[in-house]
Amino acid sequence: MFLKSLTTGAAALLAGLALTGTASAQDCPIKIGSIYPTSGPMGLVGERIAKTTQFAVEVMNEAGGVKGCEVELMLRDTQGDPKVGVDAAKNLVDVEGVPVLLGAVSSGVSLPVLTSVAVPSNVVQISCCSSSPSFTALAQDGGTDGFWFRTYATSRTQAAVGAKITMDQGYKNTAVIYVNTDFGVNAAEQYKKDLEALGGTVTAMVPYAEKQQSYRAEVSAALDSNPDSLYLVAFPVDGATLTREWISLGGTKNLVVNNSLRSTDYLEAVGFEHLDQVVGYDASQPRGIQAVSDFDAMFQAKFDGPPDGPGLHSSFDAAIVSMLAMEAADELTGAAIREKIRAVTDPAGKEVGPTVEGLQMAKELLAAGETIRYVGATGPLQFDVNGDVNAPKLIWKFNEEASEEVGYLSLEEIDALVRELDG
Amino acid sequence: MISYLVFFLIFTLIFSVAVLGLNLQWGFAGLFNAGVVGFMAVGAYTTAILIGPPNDSVIGGFSLPFPIALAGGMVASGIAAWIVAKATIRLRHEYLAVATFGIALSIQIIAVNMPWLTGGTLGIIGVPKPLQGQFESVFNYNVFFLIMMIVLVAAIYNALQAIMQSPWGRALKSIRENEDAAAALGKDIDKFRIEAFVLGCMLMGMAGGLFTVFIGYVSPTDFEPTVTFQVWTMLILGGSANNRGAVAGAIIVWAIWTFSGWAIASFAPPTLQAQGGGIQVMLIGFLLVATLLLRPRGLIGEEVRISRHVGSD
Repeated sequence: MFLKSLTTGAAALLAGLALTGTASAQDCPIKIGSIYPTSGPMGLVGERIAKTTQFAVEVMNEAGGVKGCEVELMLRDTQGDPKVGVDAAKNLVDVEGVPVLLGAVSSGVSLPVLTSVAVPSNVVQISCCSSSPSFTALAQDGGTDGFWFRTYATSRTQAAVGAKITMDQGYKNTAVIYVNTDFGVNAAEQYKKDLEALGGTVTAMVPYAEKQQSYRAEVSAALDSNPDSLYLVAFPVDGATLTREWISLGGTKNLVVNNSLRSTDYLEAVGFEHLDQVVGYDASQPRGIQAVSDFDAMFQAKFDGPPDGPGLHSSFDAAIVSMLAMEAADELTGAAIREKIRAVTDPAGKEVGPTVEGLQMAKELLAAGETIRYVGATGPLQFDVNGDVNAPKLIWKFNEEASEEVGYLSLEEIDALVRELDG
Repeated sequence: MISYLVFFLIFTLIFSVAVLGLNLQWGFAGLFNAGVVGFMAVGAYTTAILIGPPNDSVIGGFSLPFPIALAGGMVASGIAAWIVAKATIRLRHEYLAVATFGIALSIQIIAVNMPWLTGGTLGIIGVPKPLQGQFESVFNYNVFFLIMMIVLVAAIYNALQAIMQSPWGRALKSIRENEDAAAALGKDIDKFRIEAFVLGCMLMGMAGGLFTVFIGYVSPTDFEPTVTFQVWTMLILGGSANNRGAVAGAIIVWAIWTFSGWAIASFAPPTLQAQGGGIQVMLIGFLLVATLLLRPRGLIGEEVRISRHVGSD
């Protein structure tokens, strides 16, 4: 009885779905899948990322599409929920037949999508935004089969730069307070390793939970270790609470902070008189590269505002790289596209930019059988064996109104620093 | 298409295990458990630790066979439920709901803050899928998993049906309807309530363990309070106090949840696509409210049972 009703239900669903038909990948238009959190707690961030991804597809279509076909972006919402994200990804792969998945934003969604959909189905997955080192670990264990890429620099280099700044400031004993998320944990633990490798000392590692009214206990725990400085990995609202309590309980003004605190909200909430010693770092677009300013201008023209916000540059590049690799691939399967991702980001290849003309040139070069180097919104992309990329960094301090840049580390300098730290 | 359907049904059947557990608690015993996700988390992490390969950062890596790991997850959930039940069983209705909701949040916070046990925010990667090496393709494997789930859900369903027909089940219902009357008949009310709570939570733990092995990964992001809400919606919409309703609810609610996203991606104009998430959430809400207005007792409500002794001379 029960089994019977179950199978009847399944049959009914099947019949309903059969009406919609399936599309094979070689038909026009060519579909690519994307899974972004366009609702839920990350909704505001995700919606802008989704629009930027759509914009990338429009630019590619203007340049002639992929293999003579229009590209159609199939956008699905993850709601920030891993199960919804996995289901949406599986639906895109099995029903729509997409060979590429763009997304997700949070590592907690990207990882289950990767392990339960992308890798088993041999589909390329490119994330704009997931920074967790778990992906690198998984890739090293052979768990990604090379199907995983991300256009967002991992927290590895951020921590290295944080440690370098701390040493450059001459601090000897540093306490670490960090947000207890995968982002904060990675940054803090890597920072500790890097700082010790550079000869510094971490006196205390104190995690904090988000959105609390007070962080007196955390701040006291850090102060008990008698530090002369503080490395703070936080977001603006909680970061301001923490900094105020740190100062009022007698902490020094010697703060090194992460990229999220490069915010006027933070500056105004705490007050410049307490923040004049703060030094921070942030990912930077590379300098003097035409492609980056081209993208900024295109974005400005399209959306009537600058591309300021998390994941916009990196999601644009994720989409373009995947479409160029599809253009270069012999057939539109995940495995074939995977092989071509590096052929379109080859450091020895001919440079092409993110504009319509640049992409047209890219298509001509690929048609002639040459390799290309896509230099996009985030500058020249180069994926390592684990699918990770790197990015330049800038160093900043506050003035009375906003943050100002006080230093710049190029990709080469970052590489040298990380090589030194990792031995 | 077929392969997505198989995947979809596996998801819904895993959900239905948790919904059946909640049905035992709410539908039959009247226990308002608002902490479903907490017990799923206990089962999920325990299963992952027992079945997982050795790992530098997390204890465990016992590489136990799947059935033992799954049973371990259920036992751990049962123990957690027993402790919770001992502390809260005298609470009624909304008070029990608030307490269990808090406990589920605490369990998630523990998962975030005990990296040596749970991998912290990074979660546990590389949870092996049972017997995966025996199958040539992903599709074949998923078909196998689906058959396993059908057998499992059918077994749980039949067991619960049998239990509900038994004197134990009748006692539970009598407690739900009128505690004082049941007590007057000499039933140990707290004992029955604790047993129903623990048994229901063990099923939730099993659902958590099944999710973990099917996805191959577990992290605190999987255990947001939304999951409790999803499981409750499935039960209420399917029809509480009816095990068939519980399974049907799992399938229908998850279908609404996911097919609404598919429909928007397929039919909404490109300019509205980026707002699709918002539209989807509204659509889910609308369908759920509409169903409840039209079928207030759920799609398949409780069967009315009258003692065969009534009216017979």
